[in-house]
Amino acid sequence: MNKPVKSVIVVGGGTAGWITAGRIAAKHRCSSESAVQVTLIESPNINIIGVGEGTWPTMRNTLMKLGISETDFMRACDATFKQGAKFARWVDGSRDDFYYHPLMLPQGFGRVDLCSYWQAQQGRESFSNAVCFQEQVCERGLAPKLITTPEFGSVANYAYHLDAGKFARFLQNHCVNQLGVRHILDDVVGVQKAKNGDIESLKTAHHGDLSGDLFVDCTGFRSRLLGDEMDVPLVDRSDVLFIDTAIAVQVPYEQADDPIASHTISTGQEAGWIWDIGLTRRRGVGYVYSSKHTSEENAQDTLAQYVGPAIEQLDVRKIPIRSGHRQLFWKNNCVAVGLSAGFLEPLEASALVLVELSAEMLAEQLPATRGVMDICAQRFNDTFQYRWDRIIDFLKLHYILSKRTDNDFWNDNRDPTSIPDSLQALMSLWQYRSPGDQDFTSNNEVFPAASYQYVLYGMGFKTETAAYAHTLIEQELAREQFGKNRMATERALAGLPRHRDLINKIHEYGFAAV
Amino acid sequence: MTCLVSLHHKQHRNLRINPQAVETQNANLHMVPVVLSEFLKLAVQYPIAFTKNRDTGRFVCVAMLGLEPGENLFVQEGNWDALYVPLQVSRQPFFVGQESGNDSNQEKLVVCVDTDHPGVSEQGSERLFDDQGSDSPYLSSAKSKLAELFRGETEIQAFTDALLELKLLQPMRLEITLENRQSLTLQGMYTIDEEQFKRLPDEQLLDLRHRDYLAPIHTMITSLGQIYALVRRKNATKPVALGAGC
Repeated sequence: MNKPVKSVIVVGGGTAGWITAGRIAAKHRCSSESAVQVTLIESPNINIIGVGEGTWPTMRNTLMKLGISETDFMRACDATFKQGAKFARWVDGSRDDFYYHPLMLPQGFGRVDLCSYWQAQQGRESFSNAVCFQEQVCERGLAPKLITTPEFGSVANYAYHLDAGKFARFLQNHCVNQLGVRHILDDVVGVQKAKNGDIESLKTAHHGDLSGDLFVDCTGFRSRLLGDEMDVPLVDRSDVLFIDTAIAVQVPYEQADDPIASHTISTGQEAGWIWDIGLTRRRGVGYVYSSKHTSEENAQDTLAQYVGPAIEQLDVRKIPIRSGHRQLFWKNNCVAVGLSAGFLEPLEASALVLVELSAEMLAEQLPATRGVMDICAQRFNDTFQYRWDRIIDFLKLHYILSKRTDNDFWNDNRDPTSIPDSLQALMSLWQYRSPGDQDFTSNNEVFPAASYQYVLYGMGFKTETAAYAHTLIEQELAREQFGKNRMATERALAGLPRHRDLINKIHEYGFAAV
Repeated sequence: MTCLVSLHHKQHRNLRINPQAVETQNANLHMVPVVLSEFLKLAVQYPIAFTKNRDTGRFVCVAMLGLEPGENLFVQEGNWDALYVPLQVSRQPFFVGQESGNDSNQEKLVVCVDTDHPGVSEQGSERLFDDQGSDSPYLSSAKSKLAELFRGETEIQAFTDALLELKLLQPMRLEITLENRQSLTLQGMYTIDEEQFKRLPDEQLLDLRHRDYLAPIHTMITSLGQIYALVRRKNATKPVALGAGC
């Protein structure tokens, strides 16, 4: 049982595989003589799914930890900046119905809770505009930084939009050439197991047996190791999140210098919603919907309406979605990262962030021996069970406040039996006070209270402040913070460049490291 | 408006330069690009540092003339009060331009003059050509300044690239409180990271020596002390009257 963990085998060469291999290799300084070796085996016959195009700001930290230059990354992956999400037609479905979930915390967050003061104002200004300058920056198509801002530095908080296929190849090159990850192109044709149920080795088509101490399943929806070999079932969550199909298309810009949106646009449709993500040379657009609430023909029409006549020349890909996650993420010496662990509709870009969080925990808490591995596995399972539950709650929140009635998709989403108890409990509390950090006290939180505030008040939720009216004694401080935000907005709008212009400059000049 | 034309001894026979007007023309310049060959002369009075070009984000090596945009603490009462005036100022109103040759596609470099520059005037003290049409000593000196700048641009770029490659640049953060208690933060300036410089492996240090970069690195570090001289100049400037129609 004291056998040291010296060899990590990652199966699958998509973004999940390479991020995990890279984080472990970077942390444990892999090279031919080092204590821990990381091998990634990838089938030359299976394409990566590559639809994950939205990230979180956490990606900046992930890239830094991997020792990647932001300029190199952005150039190689057609990457652009993402400053949040714009939710259009989610509240009542009308033409001018939209709100923002920006990536910056409300002004003065932690010092004063502006929600109640904003509500008391009864103004026509949106919550996000009252407390944060990012909605306006996005509406004007501006970038979150300047060409003089150093790599990974920001004026406004940001994440990325990227081409997932190019990102996987870019990571591969970096992991193999800079971080000492061994890369094998071969098919896994069988798995040998030990008496205790551990995976002993993988049988490959051309490279013999590949033995290892820890196996990371990054095989995508197939879940070749954790699902097939370790028999860990999928926990279906389609009782909460109804979306089960995606149809996706890549739409080139009409003109090479068309503006690039600096946010994900998510537009509510009759039985789901359409994502719209701007990269450097094309947009990624897709309709995710519930096949129980609409036909494929209707869905195709909806997508065609959104994209316009250009869709005639484009390939529309259909991807089935199973909303859910594995009952365990780590069993014996096998851990799943990425789609093999589970998938939820991409409403808040949770796929890549879960990969990053998993890779981080694996790298930081890699078990030293097989003896302590079960403890690590237990902690990993507890952590990620909590995270999946919180993400499911937060995604569901977007649906339950909608007033749309044009399709039962929206009505069914408001059915209390489809809303997790944990979310219902929070909603009860928020009738009387706004979401705060005290509502989210785990070390493993994914979404901060601020995100709940943006969605709740963006969707038009009303908190009855009367019960706590006696606590609203910081009028002066609140006024000051609203004023600060107005000034920050003016400065940002005057100083930030057009998103497309900055992208062009990154390709021409690049950012400096300092 | 600027009017840029190539210099010709017939066309510009009567053109004269007023050097004082050239200097005061730059009264709002708070920094100026410099080249390696003038480092020693600069360091006697100016802090030498890096800043980023606003359009490209690329590093530019500059002499600091003021502590805030629009402020040149060296131009006082119509004079550039310093032992040495940076080449990029003293070469004005001349500059190097390109002119396509008649019988080939090759472009050749020519000396040009900005005839709308306030330093160009018929009453100026310095002639450009003598009666025979030959260059005056003033023009000869201006031409050698242009040549020095032209050579220097490639050199300073190579120097900057070398510092960047060795991660020797770091942002400079300076909070300054003036005698009138006004405080200001110096932003957007970069300098040599001394700790990183001390940690350089022998091999890289030797390479810097062979490329003659050790002296300019030390000169830059030493020149930063001149920031105190700038603060002193700023403290000595007459306070602007407040409340006067603004």
